[in-house]
Amino acid sequence: MNDRNRENLAELIERLFHGEQSGSVLQDIQQGEQILHENPAPEPDRRLIADIKAQIALLIPARQAQIARWRKYKRAAVAAAIIIITGISATFFNTSPPEYERTYSATIFPTNLWDSENIEADDENLAVFNVQIDQIENEIMILESGDDTGDSTRSIEEMEIELIVVSNDFWKE
Amino acid sequence: MTKSDDLARIVTGCKRGDDQCFAQVVDMYSSRCYGYFYRLTGNSDISDELLSELFVKLVEKISSYKGGSFEGWLFKIASNIFHDYLRSKQRQKKLLETQKNQLESEVGGYKQSEGEQFDKLQRQLGRLDEDTKELIMVRFYGQLSFKEIAQMRSEPIGTTLAKMHRGLKKLRVLMEG
Repeated sequence: MNDRNRENLAELIERLFHGEQSGSVLQDIQQGEQILHENPAPEPDRRLIADIKAQIALLIPARQAQIARWRKYKRAAVAAAIIIITGISATFFNTSPPEYERTYSATIFPTNLWDSENIEADDENLAVFNVQIDQIENEIMILESGDDTGDSTRSIEEMEIELIVVSNDFWKE
Repeated sequence: MTKSDDLARIVTGCKRGDDQCFAQVVDMYSSRCYGYFYRLTGNSDISDELLSELFVKLVEKISSYKGGSFEGWLFKIASNIFHDYLRSKQRQKKLLETQKNQLESEVGGYKQSEGEQFDKLQRQLGRLDEDTKELIMVRFYGQLSFKEIAQMRSEPIGTTLAKMHRGLKKLRVLMEG
């Protein structure tokens, strides 16, 4: 037990105590410590030391498993934190303009008809349909004015038949 | 290879979980740590328990050792274990109020193991206060410098030195008387 005084004890005592006092302090400490050297404490029992070593050998695997588990949890927590922070950062700090959403929809109208400036000229069926509407309109006007020269009941029936035909033809297209 | 290199290699092995390195630490320090506990408690059974507890704590806490004086670190743990023991003893003492007279007649308030004989030093140490006794023992068995002890106790080095001086002087007077 001779290597403990890595500090210079005499110098330390001189710094803290003055004159003759420092000499007596050093002497008191050295004599006191000499008493401890001359009266050694009992040594620990060999069986106790063997027991402690056995206990350590048992403790180490459990301790290492505990540390490994703890490290795994720590890594999982760090990974979760990184994912959450990245998500929050992307939400708050993304300054690029939003991408316009492209919408797709179906239509029953042909494109050439949709874009047409003159529907009657571009679609033959519609032209026929318009002529038929005009014809029916004229017949109704004649009936309303009472200028019909024939059987009015017969005329109404004919017109109904004609409307049914037009309706059927329209939905066929 | 110097002694400090050897110790550094052993401590590194302990951190890796090498039981042989822990066994080497036990061989190197068990005698000094046992002496420290024995001189503080005066009881070999309690010293056995505290020594076992110290090395269990060493295994648990070795990863927190970040360099510096290994003895300082080890004896800080030993000191904490001793203080925990003192606190538990205080609690027990309250329960044993009825046996007060019997306890007071024992040296330093500690109970001897069966058939145990105290040496003169142990009897005189019992007359010192706990703080002074621990200071002297950590210096002697821990082989720590006054600077390390002052840091460990969080007090100025002059205070540590003055307490040590008073304690050792009183012990010498008691031993000579």
